[in-house]
Amino acid sequence: MSVSDIYREEIIDHAKNPRNRGKLADFDIEHKENNPVCGDTITFQMKFDKQKKVKAIAFEGNGCTVSQASTSMLFESVIGKTSEEINKLSSEDVLQLLGVESLTPSRMKCALLSLEALKKAIKQ
Amino acid sequence: MLNIDQVKLDFPILNQKMHNRPLVYLDNGATTQKPKKVIATITEFYEKYNANTHRGIYQLSEQATALYDGTREKVREFIGAEKIEEIIFTRGTTESINLVAYSWGRKNIQAGDEILLTEMEHHSNIVPWQLLAKEKGAVIKYIPVDKNGMLNLDNIDQYFTKKTRLLALIHVSNVLGVVNPIREIITKAHANGVMVLLDGAQSTPYMPINVKELDCDFFAFSGHKMLGPTGVGVLYVREAILETMPPFLSGGNMIREVTMSETKFEDLPLRFEAGTMPIAQVIGLGAAIDYLKLIGMENIWQHEQEIVNYALAKIRTISGVTVFGPDEKIERSGVVSFAIEGTHPHDVASILDEAGVAIRAGHHCAQPLLRALGTEATARASFYIYNDQKDVDQLVDAINQAIKILK
Repeated sequence: MSVSDIYREEIIDHAKNPRNRGKLADFDIEHKENNPVCGDTITFQMKFDKQKKVKAIAFEGNGCTVSQASTSMLFESVIGKTSEEINKLSSEDVLQLLGVESLTPSRMKCALLSLEALKKAIKQ
Repeated sequence: MLNIDQVKLDFPILNQKMHNRPLVYLDNGATTQKPKKVIATITEFYEKYNANTHRGIYQLSEQATALYDGTREKVREFIGAEKIEEIIFTRGTTESINLVAYSWGRKNIQAGDEILLTEMEHHSNIVPWQLLAKEKGAVIKYIPVDKNGMLNLDNIDQYFTKKTRLLALIHVSNVLGVVNPIREIITKAHANGVMVLLDGAQSTPYMPINVKELDCDFFAFSGHKMLGPTGVGVLYVREAILETMPPFLSGGNMIREVTMSETKFEDLPLRFEAGTMPIAQVIGLGAAIDYLKLIGMENIWQHEQEIVNYALAKIRTISGVTVFGPDEKIERSGVVSFAIEGTHPHDVASILDEAGVAIRAGHHCAQPLLRALGTEATARASFYIYNDQKDVDQLVDAINQAIKILK
């Protein structure tokens, strides 16, 4: 796979204009996660509805295209999901969202930062 | 003058393609590649001389010991120390600094004492002092850097108080290549009764070093950043200080006699080399020093000036690229830290990798410095003796490519 595959228009768009960016005033969970390799960070809040499904999610963060785009895409996709469903998400699901077959191990960490953050937040 | 085409031939790893492009290795600040001579020396050691040192009463062990001790003499001469007793082999710069913090620091730093660092430090020259300060109730202070990445040394005396015990600072910045005015700083520190530890990880590979002329009390560096193998570094300590220092690691090799209740320690420098040392790596470092001397440290420093100025001139003219560090033409090591506006350095590094160019992206283990520069991460290209203008040109083409893809 060529690296340019990851830098497609859709990914760049998500990185430059992340969906659900911002802060929730009313939330059930808040969590901060960082990637020590590059210093990428995300902080996010989540609100569940009565059916215990994600009603709203918002994040702020700094980082590379891969981490920011994957956060934007993943968070967009978890709206309407329960904690159990989020827990079942795998790295393959994130790659699928990004539309790539694989990434180098170091870039994998960037891509999975948001999933790791979600799972840790739910556990707490 | 360096014949770079000739030098390149000595480094087998450079003769390969990366993503179908000639490999351009520009992460020398992290670690350098190894010349054939170093690789062959290590192989030869394992094929002909391998035995444990200092204790074997047989020829192999005596040969291994002679090679090991012979390297200590090479190091002594290379950095201009007076005695071989002042040269301690460690695992690298990090361990060298930890040794000083643990041994000298624990004995000499008391509650309320001040340890002076700079904002330019690598984490390896911050964290050991933070741990020591926490344990002892000591205070850490920093000499600040300005936004160009130069130490603010106007009225340097202001940083020294009656409580200051140690100044630990970096000789050459691993992020910016800036060379600190060490002799002036050390003179001032000593005039204030403050000892000085110099982190030479980024100076020893590039310029002639003479610890006696520098007049530092401690000097630390790594083998792998100067063509040697990983796993070996050096700590120089002025003998008068070393004699007063309690052991760091303890166990075999560093003792004279052990009874059930107490131990008499070995003489210097073996007192500080506990357990079986990285013998092959030490000997490999000796081969690296031979190689560097053959090329000449003055020539290497000259080459660094030429290539860094060539690279700076080219990269600064690319629209949308910010280069960190001082704008003026100063002597500096071959390091260029840059960022492409609106992009993250990790994305830049990924695209450069596909163009065959290996650079580093991130905080370079110097987060306080990066924050002082107003950023969290940079892309860093660092050059060594096998890099030429063609390598810089390939880097510049790749940066232009990255701008095209990411903007």
